[in-house]
Amino acid sequence: MYNTVLSHAVAMEGQLVKAAPFSYHAPETLDESLALLAEFGDEAKVLAGGQSLVPVLALRLSRFEHLIDLNRIPALRYVTGTDGVTRVGAMTTQAAIGGSEEVRRRVPLLADATAYIGHFQIRNRGTIGGSLSHADPGAEYPAVAVALDADIVLASVRGTRTVGATEFFTGSFTTAAGPDEVLTEVRFAHRPPDGCAVVELARRHGDFAIAGVACAVELDSAERVQSLRLGLFGVAPVPVRAAGAEQVARGTPAGELDPVAVGHAALAGVSCVSDVHADAGYRERVAAHLAGQAVARAVREAREARHG
Amino acid sequence: MTEPAATEPARTGPARTGPARTGPARTGPGATAGRYVGARVQRLEDPRLLTGRGSYIDDHTVPGMLHAAFVRSPVARGGISSVDVSAARAMPGVAAVFTMEDFREICRPTFSTIIGRDAVTPPLRPLADGDVRFAGDPVAIVIAQSRYLAEDAAEAVDLDLEPMPPVLDIETGLATGILVHPETGSNVAAAISAPADDERVFGGAAHVVTETVAQHRYVAVPMEGRGLVASWEPGRGELTIWAATQAPHEMRSYCARMLGLPEHRVRVVMGDVGGGFGQKMFVTREEMAVVLASYRLGRPVRWIEDRAENLLAGGHARQEQATISMATDRDGRLLAARVRHLENVGAYSVPGTGSVGGGVAAFFPGPYRLPLLSFANQAVYTNTCGRCAYRGPWLFETVAREQMMDIVARAIGMDPLDLRRVNVITDDDLPYTSATGVRYERISPAKTLEQAAGLIGYDAFRREQAAARADGRYLGVGLSLYVEPIQTRGPLGSEGAILRIDPTGEITLIMGTASHGQSVETTMAQIVADVLGCEPASIAFIQGDTAIAPWGPGTGGSKSAVIAAGAAQLVAERMRDKLLRVAGHVLEVAADDLELSGGGVHVRGDPEARVSLGQLAEAAYLNPAALPADIEPGLLTTARSVAPPLVLANACHACTVEVDVHTGVVRILRYVVSEDCGPMINPMVVEGQIAGGVAQGIGGVLYEHMVYDGDGNPLTTTFMDYLLPTACEVPDVGYGHVVTPADTPGGYKGVGEGGAIGSPPAVINAVADALAPLGARITGTPLGPAQVLAAVAAAAPD
Amino acid sequence: MAEHQLEVTVNGRAVTAMVEPRLTLADFLRERLRLTGTHLGCEHGVCGACTVLADGAAIRSCLVFAIQMRGSAVTTVEGLTPEGGGLSDVQEAFRAEHGLQCGFCTPGFVVSVTAWLADHPDPTAEAIREGLSGNLCRCTGYQGIVRAVAAAAAARARREAGHD
Repeated sequence: MYNTVLSHAVAMEGQLVKAAPFSYHAPETLDESLALLAEFGDEAKVLAGGQSLVPVLALRLSRFEHLIDLNRIPALRYVTGTDGVTRVGAMTTQAAIGGSEEVRRRVPLLADATAYIGHFQIRNRGTIGGSLSHADPGAEYPAVAVALDADIVLASVRGTRTVGATEFFTGSFTTAAGPDEVLTEVRFAHRPPDGCAVVELARRHGDFAIAGVACAVELDSAERVQSLRLGLFGVAPVPVRAAGAEQVARGTPAGELDPVAVGHAALAGVSCVSDVHADAGYRERVAAHLAGQAVARAVREAREARHG
Repeated sequence: MTEPAATEPARTGPARTGPARTGPARTGPGATAGRYVGARVQRLEDPRLLTGRGSYIDDHTVPGMLHAAFVRSPVARGGISSVDVSAARAMPGVAAVFTMEDFREICRPTFSTIIGRDAVTPPLRPLADGDVRFAGDPVAIVIAQSRYLAEDAAEAVDLDLEPMPPVLDIETGLATGILVHPETGSNVAAAISAPADDERVFGGAAHVVTETVAQHRYVAVPMEGRGLVASWEPGRGELTIWAATQAPHEMRSYCARMLGLPEHRVRVVMGDVGGGFGQKMFVTREEMAVVLASYRLGRPVRWIEDRAENLLAGGHARQEQATISMATDRDGRLLAARVRHLENVGAYSVPGTGSVGGGVAAFFPGPYRLPLLSFANQAVYTNTCGRCAYRGPWLFETVAREQMMDIVARAIGMDPLDLRRVNVITDDDLPYTSATGVRYERISPAKTLEQAAGLIGYDAFRREQAAARADGRYLGVGLSLYVEPIQTRGPLGSEGAILRIDPTGEITLIMGTASHGQSVETTMAQIVADVLGCEPASIAFIQGDTAIAPWGPGTGGSKSAVIAAGAAQLVAERMRDKLLRVAGHVLEVAADDLELSGGGVHVRGDPEARVSLGQLAEAAYLNPAALPADIEPGLLTTARSVAPPLVLANACHACTVEVDVHTGVVRILRYVVSEDCGPMINPMVVEGQIAGGVAQGIGGVLYEHMVYDGDGNPLTTTFMDYLLPTACEVPDVGYGHVVTPADTPGGYKGVGEGGAIGSPPAVINAVADALAPLGARITGTPLGPAQVLAAVAAAAPD
Repeated sequence: MAEHQLEVTVNGRAVTAMVEPRLTLADFLRERLRLTGTHLGCEHGVCGACTVLADGAAIRSCLVFAIQMRGSAVTTVEGLTPEGGGLSDVQEAFRAEHGLQCGFCTPGFVVSVTAWLADHPDPTAEAIREGLSGNLCRCTGYQGIVRAVAAAAAARARREAGHD
């Protein structure tokens, strides 16, 4: 997993904590930033919140000739809700997302997940665009994006394209974004669930998850599960949409849902990873347990909303 | 922005809550009524530290100083084929790049004053010489205009290594022909063989329980790493070192010897230091290299260790195990124990071999009547980072013994509390000489056991536990009872103090201490203030500058309250006597009729007939000829304390936990400590020391793990992977106090290490107790969620 | 690499300097402005000893390059200390409750807590611990720090009530 790779590489590289030199650019429009990216190619890296990138640079695990700071592009910071879609600008901070009324009402799973991200000091700078682009397997936002079938907008000098969240995450710290593309926006269709839950197991409060679950549930008029959208994080190189669990749950009366069965189904076919914090077997066991818990909690919330 | 007042801190709240009177009146002559000693006096250190005006080593600049960065081995063991520094030397801002070649002629053999010239040590060269012996081994030192430029150049050093198979664990170290340090001829750094004639006892015992208990590698992690600025001035022939150190005098003599300089031409200055826990007590190889670099260049050289270096190479600790057999009679009375103790001390341990076998042997019996102990130990060098002292370095005796008490109790069907009650040394047993020849007196383990059990609500908890089990929840309680030696033998047994009142009447206390969080500046001021009848805040405190301060063994090892307090008490009494005599001369009254109070001296029963310290100082300094012949001018007194060779403190920790058997996560429910450190100078400080130690113990058991892979590469060299507990992982600690004075002025005992000693087994025992009904075997640490779940899974046949 | 002009307000005072892009805000404050109250405990964004306020928000100054702060207002622990001496209410609470020992992590806590309390005026004990979890301390075991935050919150609430 990333963090252990970081530590191992740090040991191998010689324990440096001052970044290597780079040229700095602070464009004020998106077009400017795209032009710079096109000019410098893979010698350039985009800087968003910096909460993940700057440690990498400081420890000299990666270096770039050019850093393109997106923090001076106000046009990339927004949360809007129109035409049945909530649009979040890439440079919107996690703190702003956590405090957004629009997100709380329309995409509550995203709001819930935000509280698990690091600590408030991190959330004051960290952005949703940065979080999705960094694609840490233990991160919350990528799993929420996958669970909710979010659309991710990528821009370059060649134009704009939209990629579904599931297609966007291609591997550990790897996405479908090209070297000259900038993530500019994330879109969530308005489908506020009846109940949602984020459950994660991290070693300490605020750490990346060893195993985590983000799920949203809708019940039909007979209180059967109409839809379950469930994303796993921390267990595999990419966030996993647990289609198996979703199928098992569909049509089941809420009171008869078996968390253990749901949990097992969620992990079916998932290849879990091992690192210094936990091996694959542990991750699988715990993720299954948490998946069952998360679904049970989401269903409970849904039923209470209905009756309360 | 104006500077806040440098001396008198503005106290905007009450100076203290009411004095907490604990226990009998203090022993020692001249113990006054004690306005401040015993009270929760707010700290004098705080105003500068809270406002960001502390002066830590990274805050200190010396004109013309250069900055160092190290090039380190990326492999655990290997031959150095070549080190090409030419490219690095040519880079911008680089003043020099040194390897061992450049230091060979000027680096002389040296040794630590504290452990003595005869102590066995690994070959402590400042830089690797021909081969590397652990991942992180410093090979070259780059000196440049800034740390940024030094790191740029360090990357350009071309290090060509021939990796060789490393020795990483104890078993391999003992079996292999590969030597970690070829010069030593053996991977066994130290060994103890102390068998007892116990065959008959073991043969006839009603119960014999055997288990192997293991403790993993974890580390001190002060929030500030190591650091120093070394400045050799060739014109003056003087070496000055500003350092983050716990023992400035130790550093002074060590570096003086290393360079062949007379000790009085070397000055070490310690400012504010951001924690140490033992890691900064002794001079380490990087610090040697920085001093040598300055000596070569004739320029000040600064090195500030970064966190990755600190985790990689700052000194590791705790990795050891023991196979223990305990024999008891049918009622659980301990008859004999056999301990085979193995330690992994890494490559370049400091101080000495890093072995704590002697301490573990001496204190394994702990607070129990154990008639016979058979002890064997081997400490093994490996190609990993070497050991350093870490808060209660020998604490494995408590960790192992207290786990065994619970294991034995479960095996023979007794409650762990009852087994301890049956065996604990009581007041009636004292004085008691242990099986290892330690004389126990002035301790109270039985009292602390009962107090801790009461505070945690032991019996009620057992009922709560049973109810929870019926509900499928796993709660557990763990006890940990120990006796703590405060090391005061040899050079550790004495501290020095100078008390000076200047012509204006201002008081300065100068001590050989090196307080770095232990609040010595405040506690010593409390003692002096009580004797002199002044306010603690009126006393300026100087420590840590070897040019001014009397020789001291450094601060650590829980001895400040013993030796420093003794010196402060003595030097204040001598000043008091002097002041009364001068006042007698000024007021023309017999000294016996005078009292100190309110920053001056008055006639007993007539407060109006008084003279201030300022007036006394004027008399003492500015008109010396007018003084009687038997009063020496000036107001300066000195003193040194001498402690008994052994002082013992003791405590009992009790902890309750809930273990989630689905995830292996351990949640601490409640935590209490019943401690006996004798009378307390400042209860707030005592409790803070315990709380900090407990957090390190909890961290060590549940979160912290220094991990190497199979090739000897460290995997946990950032804070993302080496997990320190945060405020969410550490509970509130409840305290009970028992008071058994030491045989010293004031009777104070130390408390700095106790929290770290007692906590690991309390937590481990609680987890083991919680999982006992599942048949899960817990035999040591780490106990992260994966390990706990593995223990649960191993017990379940399906 | 080319230096950039940085114009930033630090503790209420306008500052202009030429900086290398890779110079972190933490190093800028410490080495260029001699505001050494902000400390470096890890330089990779975990320990919180380097916490400062940027436009009122608590951030880790080791994770931001100085040049990024152009046009911003930065407040360090020195800027939270009353001019002319004395301690802020948060600093006073830390002192009263023994919320520090070696002091190295302390400025980071003071800054973080000052910002956090503004958003959480009436916190539960659990919320306090969560709020503190982004700052590491190795000496105190957090007990005195938790008490200090609770005390500061209570004192503020009493002052608010007094003004009503």
